[in-house]
Amino acid sequence: MVPTTYYLALSGILFALGMIGVLTRRTAIMVFLSVELMLNASNIALVAFARSWGDLTGQTAVFIVMTLAAAEVAIGLAIIIAIFRKRETTNVDDLATLKG
Amino acid sequence: MMLAFIILGALTLVGGVITISARNAVHAALGLVGTLLSVGGLFASMNASFLAATQVIVYAGAIMVLFLFVIMLLNANQPVTGRDPVPFVRELAGIGGTLLAGAFVVLAFTYEDPAPLATSAAALRGGTAGAVGETLLTRFLLPFEAVSVLLLVAIVGAVALVQRPVPQPDGVPDTEPAGLLAPDTGLVFESVTQEAVLKERGRA
Repeated sequence: MVPTTYYLALSGILFALGMIGVLTRRTAIMVFLSVELMLNASNIALVAFARSWGDLTGQTAVFIVMTLAAAEVAIGLAIIIAIFRKRETTNVDDLATLKG
Repeated sequence: MMLAFIILGALTLVGGVITISARNAVHAALGLVGTLLSVGGLFASMNASFLAATQVIVYAGAIMVLFLFVIMLLNANQPVTGRDPVPFVRELAGIGGTLLAGAFVVLAFTYEDPAPLATSAAALRGGTAGAVGETLLTRFLLPFEAVSVLLLVAIVGAVALVQRPVPQPDGVPDTEPAGLLAPDTGLVFESVTQEAVLKERGRA
């Protein structure tokens, strides 16, 4: 059996990759894709912990996270489409009107 | 088992790197599909067969199709060109990400299993739909129902956000759907259609 630590390390690296994507990508859709990477990294960690403790709670949490991700993508992409119709852009640098 | 982990883990990371570095958004989305499928394989290797199936069906199936639809609909597959307004953002993000990954790896290797893996993995009953469903519908019934309400809200919200304003026949100015911003300031809520109506009134 592969030790839990290896899965946790993989999850941490994938989360950091997602964070780099969120910070560097400049299209709103690409930022969303990077957020999906981070969600998946956390899911790997949750499933690894579920196996380590022999408790199905972690797997149930992953199921709920997946549902939340689906809802988030539906709403987020709808917002992106609504903004694109008004502004003809999804570049996050141009969408900074709420900046203080 | 170790070999499967190495292959799936490498595929996951390669897909992740493609996702954050590909210049074409469609390529990035396809890289993420690779990552999601490999994560599904990792789930299967951790006694989570139901989640592995859900990962492939919901994530790699439904969510990614939605993403690809929107990328192609908005014609957003071209990269953003021009100078980045934030100086050194790539270098700083690279350094920060490396530090974060290092911290996670160090933390991961301090973790110790509370029981031998073979016994605790057996308690998961393979993570089948029956086992997960039993936990979901007994101990976590309230979160489960809350999530179903959330999904309903998401469906209604997505439809409400993207619907176009219905033209009003009686000269009443069209109202904007909620959440839209005017092009210049982001604060003015009068719409183009309202201006058109006023112009028409002046002409009459």
